[in-house]
Amino acid sequence: MKPLTTGIAGIALLAVLVLAPLGLPPFAMTLLTEAVILGLFAMSLDLMFGYTRLVSFGHAAAYGLGAYACGWLLLNTGMPMLFAVFAGALLTGIVGLGVGWMCTLATGVSFSMLTLAFAQLLYAISFKWTSVTGGSDGLAGIPRTVGPFGFAALSSKAGFYYFALACLVGGFLACRALVRSPFGAVLRGIRENEAKTTALGYNTRLYKIAVVAVAYGLGGLAGGLYAPFAGFANTELLFWLLSGQVLIMVIVGGAGTLVGPILGAAFFMLMEHQLSAWTEAWALYFGLIFIAFVLFAPEGIWGLATGLATGRFRPASERH
Amino acid sequence: MHMSGQFRPSRRAMLKVGLAGAAGLAAPAILSTSPRAESGPIKIGMPVALTGPLGSVGQQTKRGAEFWAKLQNAKGGILGRPIELVIEDTAGNPANCVRKAQEMVERRDCRLITGITLSSEALAVVPKLTEWDSIFISGINGDGRLTADSFVPNFFRANISGPMGTRAVSLYLRKSNMTKFYGLGLDYAWGHNSIGVFEDEVKNGKKEFVGKIFAPTGTKDYSPYITKIRQSGADAVFLVMQGDDNNAFLSQAQQYRLPEKVKLLTEIVDLASIRAVGDASLGLIGSSRYSFTYDHPLNNEFVAAWKKEYNTYPDTFEGEQWQAMKVLEAGITKAGGIEAAKLRPALEDIEVESVKGKVFIRKCDHQGVQQGFMVEVKKKAGFETPVPEVIATFPGDQTTPDCNKMAYKD
Repeated sequence: MKPLTTGIAGIALLAVLVLAPLGLPPFAMTLLTEAVILGLFAMSLDLMFGYTRLVSFGHAAAYGLGAYACGWLLLNTGMPMLFAVFAGALLTGIVGLGVGWMCTLATGVSFSMLTLAFAQLLYAISFKWTSVTGGSDGLAGIPRTVGPFGFAALSSKAGFYYFALACLVGGFLACRALVRSPFGAVLRGIRENEAKTTALGYNTRLYKIAVVAVAYGLGGLAGGLYAPFAGFANTELLFWLLSGQVLIMVIVGGAGTLVGPILGAAFFMLMEHQLSAWTEAWALYFGLIFIAFVLFAPEGIWGLATGLATGRFRPASERH
Repeated sequence: MHMSGQFRPSRRAMLKVGLAGAAGLAAPAILSTSPRAESGPIKIGMPVALTGPLGSVGQQTKRGAEFWAKLQNAKGGILGRPIELVIEDTAGNPANCVRKAQEMVERRDCRLITGITLSSEALAVVPKLTEWDSIFISGINGDGRLTADSFVPNFFRANISGPMGTRAVSLYLRKSNMTKFYGLGLDYAWGHNSIGVFEDEVKNGKKEFVGKIFAPTGTKDYSPYITKIRQSGADAVFLVMQGDDNNAFLSQAQQYRLPEKVKLLTEIVDLASIRAVGDASLGLIGSSRYSFTYDHPLNNEFVAAWKKEYNTYPDTFEGEQWQAMKVLEAGITKAGGIEAAKLRPALEDIEVESVKGKVFIRKCDHQGVQQGFMVEVKKKAGFETPVPEVIATFPGDQTTPDCNKMAYKD
């Protein structure tokens, strides 16, 4: 689509998000903050899944690791929140290098299984290493330490929201620059035809390791934000269920669009929250919604929205 | 994905997309706020694990609270205000629990929280209570830390805690002629914690602790564990198990005739698991959080009313939750309102007579001091499945740890 119109839409969306704290009641702010954090998490997976066709079944590893690292630092070192969040992201990114190196030894389903195995390994560690992770009860009472540099505003409800929003916008701009760069072109090459990209002289494995590390770093940033946001980190954040949920967020939102997964994350969280308030069988209805998306709007919310806006929406059956 | 490039939507269309996205982020229901809490119905928020592995436990707390609210509303509510329970499913996930609780407080104006199912959920919620200016009264959460390291002023525990249950078992054992003990726990925080407390208690009682073993949750085959317990030469084995694991172990122990050689002790005797395994639970000895067989006038009255309503006997956590609601009711009546600043001092040092006898909420750590029960699972005429019968009681000052502590001195 035209860069100008996308830009205007983006700025309008951003303006709404920036002004949101002025008009929203407290709980809506809480939901919006969580949606922003999950949006960042889903967007990080989109780099792997949407742009490089690296299907990760273990992206919760990045989120959980970032949350535990940040939470542990805040509980045990008195490090200010601002630094702890980025330290969590950095650590996760470094671990992501190792994960990328290991998992890219395989391709396709084997790659997915290795990412899952790694995430389950971390899950098991979080259960067993009680002295550091708190075992099955996790880390509770994680503070939003202000620190000596006058970041007091960040610990308030609106302040924390802006901090998370800044991370999301920063992450989005970085990802967009990345996918538009020559590096991103190689990623798309890997997605479309890895053999051909290799034949053109690119060491595709190095590119894949790099994109896994970046995706982990951003996922870790989201997890690092979650720990002081919720005030706790526990084993659920590393569980395969979350890895599956974030894949759904990306698919429902629209893979390979960066914006789509952000919307998908917000949609997923709100649907889960509202449906479970109405009925105990909420998981069933959520499943039906997911199936409907896959069948009738395979390009996700973003594809649906842009399609509807231009009257070019076609259901899956009319596609080739 | 390949759409970008094909479409050239108009500027107006793109604005629509942006606005739709923004509207999607803030669904209309979330925007509404409700009136303040000083008048109108008394709203009690219950973020409960109604689904998931502990869904059956959550369903019990839900029913216990609902039954209380129904009877209380029939009497005109409290302070002339009707009671409204706001119950939602957390699926046992602490992240959901915190979000739901926050919504109940901030959007639906609940100032009271109860019925949280898992200790991990409770531990995640308590640090937020001050910010929310809300009181959380636990009906079933057992984790010792809630009244120790993780204690916050707006938290109250009306129920028997995990350490108090283990303590009742060890006090009972001191008087028994059993001398050698083994421990089998589920391999996570609760299992390790309770087995640890039990080991200390056995040693304090000058008896022998011969070994312990931990099984991962979801273990199907317990025969290697049963062999180990047999070979240890212990007189009794202390079990810290729940749900499917507990049922699997009890059934297999029966098949291997373990109870003929080794007495089975447990931290919680729960009616649901007795129903699940039937006669395999016979002879099981353990502490009890609540049992419909307690002989107390208020309990007999409660059980009769429950039977009339549901045509069955109240379960462990139904009775525990009921007691918590009675404590809350007394506190609200005394305080003349539900605001934390009024209710907190009213609940401190309050004494309530309920289904388990007297409960005294002590001021120092907000733990409900109450008697501890030991029960043995027996056959009883008129009941299809075995029932827990009280074989010993211990006064609250013996079973409750010192203020803000999880362990016992003697």
